[in-house]
Amino acid sequence: TKSKALAAGLGIDEEVEVTRKPRAPRVKLDEHRLLSAAGIPKLRKRAKDHLKFKGKGHEFSDATRLLQFYQLWLDDLFPKARFLDALAMVEKMGHKKMMQSARVEWINEGKPRSSVHEDS
Amino acid sequence: EFANGKKDVVDPEVRAYVSSLVTALGGSGADEEGRYILGDDALACLRDLKRWLKLYDEKANRFDVARCLAESNLVGGDLLQILAAWPENEDENRMKSKIALACLELLVPLTWPLSNDKKEMTVNHHRHIPYLQIAQLGYKRSIVNFDGARILHTAVRCALPSMAQDAGDRSTRDEGIIKLLLYFIRNIAMIAPPPNVQYEGDEAEISRSATIDAFDYQDIFQLLLTLSSSMGEDFNTQDVIVMDVIFHLIKGVDIEKLFMDEEKVSNSKTDELIRLRKKEAAMLRSYQMHAPTRHNRFGAMAWIQREDSKRTTISGQAAVTDSTRGLAKMDSTKKFKPPHRAHKGETGPMDFDNPVSLSVQATKHLRTFVEEFLDAGFNPLFNHIRKAIDREAERIMDSHPRQFFYLVAWFLEAERARRRCKKSDKKQKPEDVDSFALVASVLNQEMFVTLNRAMDKTYEEKSWADLSAAMKCFTQILLTVQEMSESPLEDDQEIAENILNRIFYEETTHDRVANITRTYKDQGFGYLDSTTELSHNYLRILEQYSKQNVDLQVRSRRRVRKKKKAAREAGEDAPDDDVIDESEGEDESRAQKMLHERKFDFKKFAARFVVQGCVDTFVKFTSYYNDLKPAQLKRAHRYFYRVAFKQEMGVMLFRVDIIHLFNKMIKGPEGLDPQSSSYKEWEEFVKQILRRCFKKMQERPELVVEMLFSKINSTAHYLEYGYEKQTVTTT
Repeated sequence: TKSKALAAGLGIDEEVEVTRKPRAPRVKLDEHRLLSAAGIPKLRKRAKDHLKFKGKGHEFSDATRLLQFYQLWLDDLFPKARFLDALAMVEKMGHKKMMQSARVEWINEGKPRSSVHEDS
Repeated sequence: EFANGKKDVVDPEVRAYVSSLVTALGGSGADEEGRYILGDDALACLRDLKRWLKLYDEKANRFDVARCLAESNLVGGDLLQILAAWPENEDENRMKSKIALACLELLVPLTWPLSNDKKEMTVNHHRHIPYLQIAQLGYKRSIVNFDGARILHTAVRCALPSMAQDAGDRSTRDEGIIKLLLYFIRNIAMIAPPPNVQYEGDEAEISRSATIDAFDYQDIFQLLLTLSSSMGEDFNTQDVIVMDVIFHLIKGVDIEKLFMDEEKVSNSKTDELIRLRKKEAAMLRSYQMHAPTRHNRFGAMAWIQREDSKRTTISGQAAVTDSTRGLAKMDSTKKFKPPHRAHKGETGPMDFDNPVSLSVQATKHLRTFVEEFLDAGFNPLFNHIRKAIDREAERIMDSHPRQFFYLVAWFLEAERARRRCKKSDKKQKPEDVDSFALVASVLNQEMFVTLNRAMDKTYEEKSWADLSAAMKCFTQILLTVQEMSESPLEDDQEIAENILNRIFYEETTHDRVANITRTYKDQGFGYLDSTTELSHNYLRILEQYSKQNVDLQVRSRRRVRKKKKAAREAGEDAPDDDVIDESEGEDESRAQKMLHERKFDFKKFAARFVVQGCVDTFVKFTSYYNDLKPAQLKRAHRYFYRVAFKQEMGVMLFRVDIIHLFNKMIKGPEGLDPQSSSYKEWEEFVKQILRRCFKKMQERPELVVEMLFSKINSTAHYLEYGYEKQTVTTT
């Protein structure tokens, strides 16, 4: 019994609890992220302030500017994916119910009030 | 067990039996001046070997004997020597012809295509098939390039007595021998290095060119022509094997190159070299422009100032000079890759989308064969096979319809190429023009029924390679008929008119074409090419036809159903002919009305190609722009032009990834070659599209968000026109 007590004192018999830290959840580009403040609302706000086109004769430089605008926004929103990959992921999200209703809402916001009235 | 501790892969006893048989077969020795001398019981040995293959390998589903035979060099060392020792003037020698036949009976199973069907493979298959695939390449090399004699020709001689008999008089044995010969030729034509294996010998010795040259030299083309031209008379069940042989000869061959003059070929080859060098130089120049001007440890570091006082640092000179390249650099350092699916295309012997190049000699031989085949063999052979497919004959395997449609498409295109060739050769008088009778057997109503059924079935079963072949066939039929309608012969015109009317009469056909185009997903480039080609030509020819024929009517399914339902309700039997008779009282005003409706209908039909699915299909196709031929680029250009300007739904193209693609095509890096013929029209088109896009974005700021997504139809309509679709009343 003496040796047993000694062993107990050494802590051999005590069960060691192995706790593994749960892995950090992977960041996903889902509809919640898109609809959050850093997502599409930010895009719309930024577009109002920054997106200006030079117009006729500058088509290609305008295109470059437009693409950069989207690229920077996506880099802020979801830094780990490349531009084209991220675009494809966003496009895929557009088929979700939540996104679709949000999209319709944004479009309706843009519609002139009077015509909405006429239609309904 | 070997000394080094490795186990032999084959049962040693089996190996001992088999190799003793091979040794007993015969051999060459110094005292015979190196000639090959048959063993005393050679015939019995050959038969024993055959029995081994049959009763051990086949029955137990193993490849042990085949492996032993490959290791003991039976084919090159013995069988070919024996066949070579049967000279042409000794056809009457019974013993020798018997032995030759026995050799052929061994050659056929040894060269038989090895199936790579993962589900049915055993451990043993996995062990032996890679070895046997390489061994078969060796067999082909020695058979095709054998110096002493014409091996393939000798094989034909084995079957000649059987073939000479009337079809009715042939015994089962005779039929078997003919089949054996044809399978042998098929196997030789089919053997090619497997897609994932690097062949270590001289590729030229087993290439398609070598096969074609050998077939020409050994009169195999003559045999194929004889068989196909008398199909249905002297020959019957051999049709599918002949087709198989021809398929493996011509799959992937570029028709345009085939029908070029020799002079032109060499010219075009030099031209091509110059063109390719120029392209390469342009490519290098564009790299040079972006290449660093200092050594790679110069260590420049730049940052991009972003919003919210955020900075992104980028190393290298790129970012210093211009922001586009800075951002590209930032993008390229990202490691994350979203999961993606592998494509479902076919690789292996049945793949017909892999282009092959032929030597000058082989091109000449093949062209001669193709022309003779069109003149004599096309109608009998394909008519016969079409009938067999229709009644689902027992010999028709799964792969045969695919081969059939592919071959029909290929030969129709070849026929058109030949006509072009003739036309440019010398100014022809109208009375010298040939009619299209040479290919008439695939332009009849039965063929359309078969084709339509095949397209429906393969689409439902998702067998994409089959569908791709059927679509190619349909495209070529359309093109041929269109050419026919422009023929100076009145008969041809009339027939063409008739055919087009029949093709376009069925609304189900319209639906099918639109549906297939809409639903592309990961089927590989070959399928993508077939789909876009079909929808391009279908739209084009239908548009033209509906303009010319004011009273074009369409049989729609819905109408028929209504009619049937009404009939059933009335207690009658459904009428057999669903044709809606409109010929009565068809005066000018009615015709005008039909024209109006039809025109409206064509627009409606074309509108079905403006949906997101179709746009995505063509975008995917265009994304291969650097590998597309001018005709293919034109196809994509016409489609987008139709979407944006004819249908006025440019909104469908306003998506960031599409804009990115268009911009990249013109402005690079790695864009279209500015010297190429298609560059100009693409540049103009992209410019127009971009201009419209920016205008629209200013008009409707909400497009900024919608640029990211596929549009829903109603939304797209609103974005384009500024009002909802429902409010429009059709007058």
